[in-house]
Amino acid sequence: MTREEEQPTLRSRRSLTLRFDIPISRTHEFWDALGKGRFVTTRCSACGNESFPPQADCPRCMSDRFEWVDLEREARLVTYTYVQVTPASFVNDEPYIIAIGEFANGIKVLAWLEGVPVEKAKVGMKLTVEARRSSEGNPYYVFVPSLPS
Amino acid sequence: MNRVAIVGAGHSKFGKRKDVNVAELAFESIKQAVTDAGIERKEIKNVVVGSAGGWYEEALPAVIVNEYAGLRSVGTMRVEAACASGSAAVKAAHDSVATGESDVALAVGVEKMTEVDTMTSVELIGRAGSYMWEFENYGMTFPAYYALYAVSYMNRFNTTEEDMARVAVKAHHYGSLNPNAQFQKEITVEKVLSSQVVAWPLKLYDACPLTDGSAAVVLANEEVAKRLTDTPVWIKGIGYSSDSANLSKRDDYVGLRASVEAGRRAYQAAKVTPREVDVATCHDCFTIAEIMAYEDLGFCEKGEGAKLVREGQTEIGGRIPVNLDGGLKAKGHPIGATGVSMMVEITKQLRGEGGSRQAPIRNGIGLVHNVGGTGHYAYVTILSRGA
Ligand SMILES: [Zn+2]
Repeated sequence: MTREEEQPTLRSRRSLTLRFDIPISRTHEFWDALGKGRFVTTRCSACGNESFPPQADCPRCMSDRFEWVDLEREARLVTYTYVQVTPASFVNDEPYIIAIGEFANGIKVLAWLEGVPVEKAKVGMKLTVEARRSSEGNPYYVFVPSLPS
Repeated sequence: MNRVAIVGAGHSKFGKRKDVNVAELAFESIKQAVTDAGIERKEIKNVVVGSAGGWYEEALPAVIVNEYAGLRSVGTMRVEAACASGSAAVKAAHDSVATGESDVALAVGVEKMTEVDTMTSVELIGRAGSYMWEFENYGMTFPAYYALYAVSYMNRFNTTEEDMARVAVKAHHYGSLNPNAQFQKEITVEKVLSSQVVAWPLKLYDACPLTDGSAAVVLANEEVAKRLTDTPVWIKGIGYSSDSANLSKRDDYVGLRASVEAGRRAYQAAKVTPREVDVATCHDCFTIAEIMAYEDLGFCEKGEGAKLVREGQTEIGGRIPVNLDGGLKAKGHPIGATGVSMMVEITKQLRGEGGSRQAPIRNGIGLVHNVGGTGHYAYVTILSRGA
């Protein structure tokens, strides 16, 4: 392949950086609550369907009437991975564990799993959701292992 | 509906193709496919281009490709179904012929993934899910998506990292026999197991590479097909389906529901059963994906996929030879080109042009399984040599 890599190319003079202003107005309460350490989602006022991620329009009955409900804190680890080759915009992050946790009501959430070395992660282990804040000030959430009760 | 046949097939060399731009790369396949079909370009009224794009400089690949290839005033579109964009292009071109809108249509798949740096490619593919809930804060990568499936699968069934490594060894063996493949060297289980971890438990050699490449097929109705060739390969049935963008909404992580559903619909449309399939391409972007595909397509029972590989049942001489072109793993995976490349491979197999990697053809039935993203899209296309 060396020969192919030595082919002449013209490096474009124009570069492109994309930053998106992502609308959150219809579900901003999720992020507001997370900023205060609460983990909530939407429940359809017409059919009772709970969604995660939160959504203002019910995917089951199409109603746009909904209320905010607290999600349980404790989930069960369904599956996970340990990302060692990270995307360009995560080059400054240490390798991270991405996990999917399932709550008792069947809702599943994907987030980083922190506070446990990857060798100690086990399918079925109990996880708790914790709120975090990014260096830019944006709230987000992670899983941590539940403390033994 | 008109019956539709593949009457011409073209395929570029896959790999790091720094010697060509996107139009030149697509042209390599278009020229071969048109020549193989023995038609005049003016007979082509419809061109569908499958390309995910974003990693090369052109924003409108369909018109760029058509202009370069001298395909003027054609009805055209670029289609996107992530890594199944190629199958989507064939489906759209097929429909144009099946409905009688066109007598002849061209499906082209093309991707140039190595004009940007590797980490930017990793970024762009990692965003191929639900950006807000999977990427913004958590930096998902393509291997990470499939690793979530691999961990769950290994935990549920008696399957090991070594089992997954065997899929890569098989892919590289057949890749070594395919001059168009990106990788043409045999590898060992040890080499796979000792390669760099990208998203545990998946390692570098469990993963398909970043690839530049193109493929093209000419589709024609029965009248044109019979005029052009004695060996038309008929599109007998297409099934396609999809699943949630956000992985947390999936029922489980041991198979792809979109594949199961696409397969069921394709078998029904083609009126064939999994047992009748002589040769197949399965979407092996990662080794675990091929194991799950065997099960999702009914080549074996759930949880038996690794056993099929262990027993050599998916090699030539086995029950159902799979990915005799080296698969995505060794042939390479130029996102939008892959589905069309699979059609080219199965067309050649059904024509008996497989050379040293020809599968025995008993029923004249081949199957193309092409997944977009992590089971976000799935397309299954069943091809047939006979009527
Ligand atoms: Zn509802």
